Amino acid sequence: MKTHMIRRAAERLGLFTTLFLATLTLVACASAPLPPTESLTMASDAIANAEQAEARRYAGAELEEANRHLAEAEKAVAAERMTEADRLAKQARVAAELAIARTEAAKAAAINREMGRGAEALDEEMQRQGDQQ
Amino acid sequence: MKILSFLKPVPGKKTTIAVVLSSVLLTACAMSPTSPEGSEDVRTKLTELQQNPDMMTHARIELRDAEAAVQLAEQPLDSDEQALADYRLYMADRMVEIARAKGQTRLLEAEREQLGEQRDAARLAARTREADEAHADAESARSSQADAAALSAREAEELQRQIDDLEAEATERGLVLTLGDVLFASGSAEIQGGTNENLEKLVNFLEQYPDRQVLIEGHTDNVGSAMFNETLSRQRAESVRRFLTGRGIDGRRLTVSGFGFERPVASNDSATGRQQNRRVEVVIENRE
Repeated sequence: MKTHMIRRAAERLGLFTTLFLATLTLVACASAPLPPTESLTMASDAIANAEQAEARRYAGAELEEANRHLAEAEKAVAAERMTEADRLAKQARVAAELAIARTEAAKAAAINREMGRGAEALDEEMQRQGDQQ
Repeated sequence: MKILSFLKPVPGKKTTIAVVLSSVLLTACAMSPTSPEGSEDVRTKLTELQQNPDMMTHARIELRDAEAAVQLAEQPLDSDEQALADYRLYMADRMVEIARAKGQTRLLEAEREQLGEQRDAARLAARTREADEAHADAESARSSQADAAALSAREAEELQRQIDDLEAEATERGLVLTLGDVLFASGSAEIQGGTNENLEKLVNFLEQYPDRQVLIEGHTDNVGSAMFNETLSRQRAESVRRFLTGRGIDGRRLTVSGFGFERPVASNDSATGRQQNRRVEVVIENRE
């Protein structure tokens, strides 16, 4: 009687263990194909920022690249190739950031050229004034 | 002692060293070829930026991030992880480029400050020049004023010196120079001795101040009739005038009058008084 009960308990414990392990496995399997939401969001945000910064005008190729990577990332998500999707999303983000950086560099260069011309004009103006006097 | 004896039986120390060294070499050789292809190019680009002092100044953080990315890209990977290698290489490359672009932007911004400073300097120079010119104008005006003041001060000083020299008296009518009767013999209108120190000084003075009009007034004592004295006084004044014109003073500047004994300066009761009254006064009019 006693040994019977002990065996029953052991069987139950074994069952529980099996169930627990199975659950763990399932959780692990389920977590793997989750889409890289964070990476995708960050990529989208970076692209939006780049467009806000007029990257289309100053760094069109880089912005294009970012958009292409993001589109591929979304395709990879659809195909449940999540690792690839994550990498592509991160590539999209870094491409968008490069687009922003190059846009800012181009804008800064344009401003400096303008200022240089302004300073030259001012210098000339003053030169003329100086000559007149 | 025990350790030494334990070590001693080991045959050939050199062999041990050789083995250690060769294993180290093998490890090194084994590691380097697995650095993914393309990582060297990224490393070269990054090194170039790191050696640029401008970039190191303006993109320090970005270069540090890029350095980490490049190091990751250089990590050896198994041949079946080509996708990961490509991904890491891509990220490293873009991060190096981001560092470059950000460094350029900040360098341009720094240069812009310089440009602004240059422009401010140019503006300032122009302002300074304007101010200097205005200042110089004011200065020259002031200095010409000062010059004029100094000149007139010097002139006044000179005039005063001359007046002192003439022993003339400054009055409301002008400078009054009294030529005493020693000039003339009693009853005569002729200037004695042909010349006189006081008259020489008067000539000098009149030459120096050619725009001053001169009144020559003859006066006598009360000896004799009024008519006689008036004539005599007038004649004495005339002879002074002649003397002056003879020395080149324009006659138009010289007005002659004879007052006889009408305007005595002392009492005619005493000889001294009468002597003081016999005189020719030369009034050099104040210039106005």
